[in-house]
Amino acid sequence: MYLSMKINLKPLSLLTLFVVAAMGAYAQGIMGGHVTGNIQLDGQVSRQDSVIGAADVPEKILMNARADILYTNGNFSAGLRFEAYQNPMLGFNAKYKGQGIANYFAAYNGDKLSVTMGNFYEQFGSGMILRAYEDRYLGVDNSLLGLNVALRPYEGVTIKALAGKQRYYWEYGDGIVRGIDGEVSLNSIIKPWAEGKLRATLGAGFVSKYEPDQTITSTTNPAYRLNLPLNVGAGAVRADLNYGNWSLQAEYAHKGQDPSIMNNYIYREGEALMINATYSQKGFSANLQAKRVDNMSFKSVRSESGEMLYINYIPAITKQHTYAFLSMYPYATQTTGEMGLQGDVMYKIKKETLLGGKYGTDIHLNGSIITGIDTTRIGGDGTLGYTSEWFKTGDLYYADASIEVAKKLSSALKLTCTYGYQIFNPIVEGHEGALHHNHILVGDLTWKVNRKNVLRFEAEWMGSDSKYDPNVDDKRCGDWIMGLVEYNFTSKWFVSVSDQYAYRDGVGNYYNVSVGYNHGATRLQLGYGKQREGLLCIGGVCRQVPASNGLTFSFTTSF
Amino acid sequence: MKKIVLSLFFMAIAGIAMAQNAILPQNITIKALDGSSVQTSAIQNDGKPMIISFWATWCKPCNRELNTIKEIYADWQEETGVKLVAISIDDARSASRVKPHVDGNGWEYEVYIDQNQDFKRAMNVVNVPHTFVVNGKGEIIWQHTSFVEGGEEELYEVVKKALAETETAE
Repeated sequence: MYLSMKINLKPLSLLTLFVVAAMGAYAQGIMGGHVTGNIQLDGQVSRQDSVIGAADVPEKILMNARADILYTNGNFSAGLRFEAYQNPMLGFNAKYKGQGIANYFAAYNGDKLSVTMGNFYEQFGSGMILRAYEDRYLGVDNSLLGLNVALRPYEGVTIKALAGKQRYYWEYGDGIVRGIDGEVSLNSIIKPWAEGKLRATLGAGFVSKYEPDQTITSTTNPAYRLNLPLNVGAGAVRADLNYGNWSLQAEYAHKGQDPSIMNNYIYREGEALMINATYSQKGFSANLQAKRVDNMSFKSVRSESGEMLYINYIPAITKQHTYAFLSMYPYATQTTGEMGLQGDVMYKIKKETLLGGKYGTDIHLNGSIITGIDTTRIGGDGTLGYTSEWFKTGDLYYADASIEVAKKLSSALKLTCTYGYQIFNPIVEGHEGALHHNHILVGDLTWKVNRKNVLRFEAEWMGSDSKYDPNVDDKRCGDWIMGLVEYNFTSKWFVSVSDQYAYRDGVGNYYNVSVGYNHGATRLQLGYGKQREGLLCIGGVCRQVPASNGLTFSFTTSF
Repeated sequence: MKKIVLSLFFMAIAGIAMAQNAILPQNITIKALDGSSVQTSAIQNDGKPMIISFWATWCKPCNRELNTIKEIYADWQEETGVKLVAISIDDARSASRVKPHVDGNGWEYEVYIDQNQDFKRAMNVVNVPHTFVVNGKGEIIWQHTSFVEGGEEELYEVVKKALAETETAE
């Protein structure tokens, strides 16, 4: 099913040899150039805890490690990435188990031409038809192995072309992805517009995937075998317009018939539209986003249902919250169909005013509402699936509203208070159930005691109408309180202690102690306790962490 | 296979030991706030030091860092001519929030968006915030990850040192 890694060994060995030779030459000072890189090691000594969902781990220690080595010499660069999952940490797919060279490339980046051979990441527009990307903390790596070329024949004109296969854990998917994209900045090519107030960039792209035929029989009529398209195309057009304080971005994407496990093998074409309008000036901004997505899951292997092999990326437009309870119910885009609106306002009340006080006050409002699309069923697999009325909404999936007020109280104290309200439909995570309605309050106080000592206090509360049900086993249900104290000694050392406790209708008590050390671009962190998966911002950095119970350690360095 | 990996690894370590200051990567495409594509070679400050700060709209410590420096940025510029270039690593989900975020916070920095994260990878940025100081010759002379109040003072010491070195060299 999947191309074996071994096939790539030969070019890999050659490349390795080349990089080693280049580095040897460098060390002798013949070629010049620079070697840079980064190393990351995460591990956990895990104990089973069914209450928080930490699994029983027979090997006791789980570890993810990676190292990127990058050689750069003028316009030339080459890189290798070593990854090891012995065994993969909780939250990472078991298929990552193993170690080896996961990524290698050689690239030339000139003024008018860029060429990358090997593994590369690329994005057309906002990524609605193509986005090869990685998120190391989420265990997602859709890098393409192949050839990527970008031409810049004139200033303001970029043409990209690429072809390759997508990474699938330690292998590559069978599907071949090919794409071309063009982008023009009108201010560069239309001379009278060069200094114009209107800034306009237009773009268009096309992506095609090829996948060999396979036998898939209709579930409604097993006597029929589906006539699968071997080539599936998707195209998109986009515009980015700016005029003074105003800006508007719009992108529309359309995809041909693409029956897959993601859409239950229906033959309906897909489309997506995203519009973003902004007004901003110093100290005030307002932003409104709208999107509609219909049957836009686009993968290079039609039978793959997991998190890998996505060719495109349809972003969630809901705000990415950083506080623990506000981000406890993250909204995941429904690529099969959704409609959404999001609004965001930031306002700075000036200094020396009644509400602004001595230092001014920052106010941030945000709200979003996401629903399904309207569908009228035609049939099951092998048919067009459904029809949809464009402006009619389906079920409510998610809604939230929040207000954040940040105020510097004195030269040493800064307070941020947030109130948020959320409605969450568990259907977006694949199971039916009642809507969850959550109220959340957050207080965050930073106290710079003196030049070297900084304390931070965080208190959070969440009141929810949801109750923990062992049959559904959603551990986020119920009412929660949380406290966090963080002490930083210069920007080098930190200690943080926190606890999240379900005091009513829920289960779980997530206590955690963390100690960390930063020096330059090196960071070492040790933690003990129970960790909920999600975005964690302590000790001066933010990162996604997996669920864990026990001891965790993390080391990162860049050089 | 294992031998190759190991030998490569040790070569790399040897390389690090000898490494001089890396220079700021050129010819990597990033986006300006008006949506147009820009090459990283455009990041310049006429031979004066620069601070390159990788951040994201959703990253609280990043926002604390950039808001803290905002209060003293005018003084820093006046005293040293330093320029802060803020590189947002926001992806498709939040890239459209970058411009309103920058304006809403009243930042006067030069801001670019590294949506495909090519610049981030080239600079070996793992977590944000990750801040670099680049001297007048475009060499990366200092880097630091994380931000805690007070960290801006250490950063400014490095900037002043970079400026002094440039002036002595001249």
